[in-house]
Amino acid sequence: MTTEKTSTKYEKPIPLKTLDNHPYWDAADNHELAIQSCCDCQKAIHPPGPACPHCGSPNMEWINYGSDITGEIYSYVTTYVPMLPGFQHDLPTIIAQVSVDQVPGIQITANIINAKPEDIAIGKAVKMTWLDITEDRALPQWKLIG
Amino acid sequence: MWDLSSKYAIVGVGESERSKNSGTTPLHLALRASRNALADAGLEAKDIDAVMSYSEHDSCTSHQVSTYLGVRPKYVKDIIGGGSSTELLIGDAIALIEAGQANTVLIFRAMNGRSGVRMGGGNWSTDLLQSAIDGGSFIIPYGMASPSQWFGMFATRHMHEAGLTQEHLGHVCVSFYEHAQRNPKAMLHGKPLTMENYLQTAHLSYPFTKHDFCLETDEANAIIVTSAERAKDCKSRPVYIKGLVSREMHPHSHYWTDLTQVAADYVGERIYESAGIKPEDLHVASIYDCYSWVVLRQLEAYKIAPREGLGEFVTQGNLKMGGKLPSNTAGGMLSEGYTHGMNNVLEITRQLRHEYKGTERQVEGCELGLCTGWLGPDGAGALILSN
Repeated sequence: MTTEKTSTKYEKPIPLKTLDNHPYWDAADNHELAIQSCCDCQKAIHPPGPACPHCGSPNMEWINYGSDITGEIYSYVTTYVPMLPGFQHDLPTIIAQVSVDQVPGIQITANIINAKPEDIAIGKAVKMTWLDITEDRALPQWKLIG
Repeated sequence: MWDLSSKYAIVGVGESERSKNSGTTPLHLALRASRNALADAGLEAKDIDAVMSYSEHDSCTSHQVSTYLGVRPKYVKDIIGGGSSTELLIGDAIALIEAGQANTVLIFRAMNGRSGVRMGGGNWSTDLLQSAIDGGSFIIPYGMASPSQWFGMFATRHMHEAGLTQEHLGHVCVSFYEHAQRNPKAMLHGKPLTMENYLQTAHLSYPFTKHDFCLETDEANAIIVTSAERAKDCKSRPVYIKGLVSREMHPHSHYWTDLTQVAADYVGERIYESAGIKPEDLHVASIYDCYSWVVLRQLEAYKIAPREGLGEFVTQGNLKMGGKLPSNTAGGMLSEGYTHGMNNVLEITRQLRHEYKGTERQVEGCELGLCTGWLGPDGAGALILSN
């Protein structure tokens, strides 16, 4: 039993919730995307923070964009050696920064989980998916579509 | 032009031995480098009244180094920082002397970068990484924990926009490795690199192969800065600080969320005006080279070649001896050694002194040099040096 438990344990780093970022990760746990937005300059803010980095305003709100999230690859790296625990089982690791169709002006970084390195290129379309990594946590990821 | 242009100089440079396993502590290495810099300047330890260093929690303190050089310092400062910290501390040294708080400043970087604390070596606590890096929770869970990945994300996009290929990265590596073959103290002396070999090397993290990464070395470097007036009393030929931009930052502390700009772009806007020269006046350069691509991006930021001409610039061999701008002429951090940039400052100082005169290492008649520091896309600084 002990062995079985160990083998299914999630070994990769789990996103740390903080005062400023927890609404993003709370929404992710519900398989939804929430993004911080400035009430004054109306720009989207990602990663979230204590004030708007575009205009300095402290007036911000969170907008929930739901679960139907798409985008296109803006840049990427493909890593063949594990840089962190857990990734040794998951090589090569494709990490992509994606421009989000539903939230102009931001990019979200995640792995592309259904592709080989040779399938990846700037401009390719992707869709957000959520992996349940523990009983109560989920991690947003990207999948190639089309 | 900068008010203090050429009013301060580098008067001493020195290094410890360079290896993969020093068998000693950063403090011992720092003392050897400092004594060598003092001997180079023809100064005694008592002539130093301020000591500064930078580290990544992997070194000794300036107070320790002062103590064991036999100096009671008026002023010490140890900052946390990697690339571009030499330029930053040179700016601080000038400010300190200008404010009448010190006369002659020793700056060092000492590290067992291979046998001790390795950069991005995967030994960092992942929770610590998420907290220590601003926005770390948005990249660490995806395995993005190494500068090769942070900078690589910029590289892939920039290469796409600038029409750069793997071969163009290779030209940076091949050029600097060629320089290392003329430098018996370079780690990769005797290990030349051909383009054919480069292109056959596997990626560690696309778009970078092991040749695109800087080395890891155990080593210390030291430099001594003083006023041009006091420099006249030193043994060495002074190398004047003609232009300085000590530090510029990317607009956002989550710099990786904006791949369109790097801090070096802001340094490139100011550095030539500071020295009263143009990019085409340069004869020699030390371009911070933690990764090959970082050199290409800085060639653009420092207006040495336009974005659309970067590939052609390196393909033509312009970074090599005899090219338009011989750069990293000791081999750079890709093939000489790695002390977060300070070894590149030592080399350009020696070039501008014409210390290699009569050998194939000397950039003939060089008078003006650019030395750049790259903390990352987040921070940068630069010096223009003259003889």
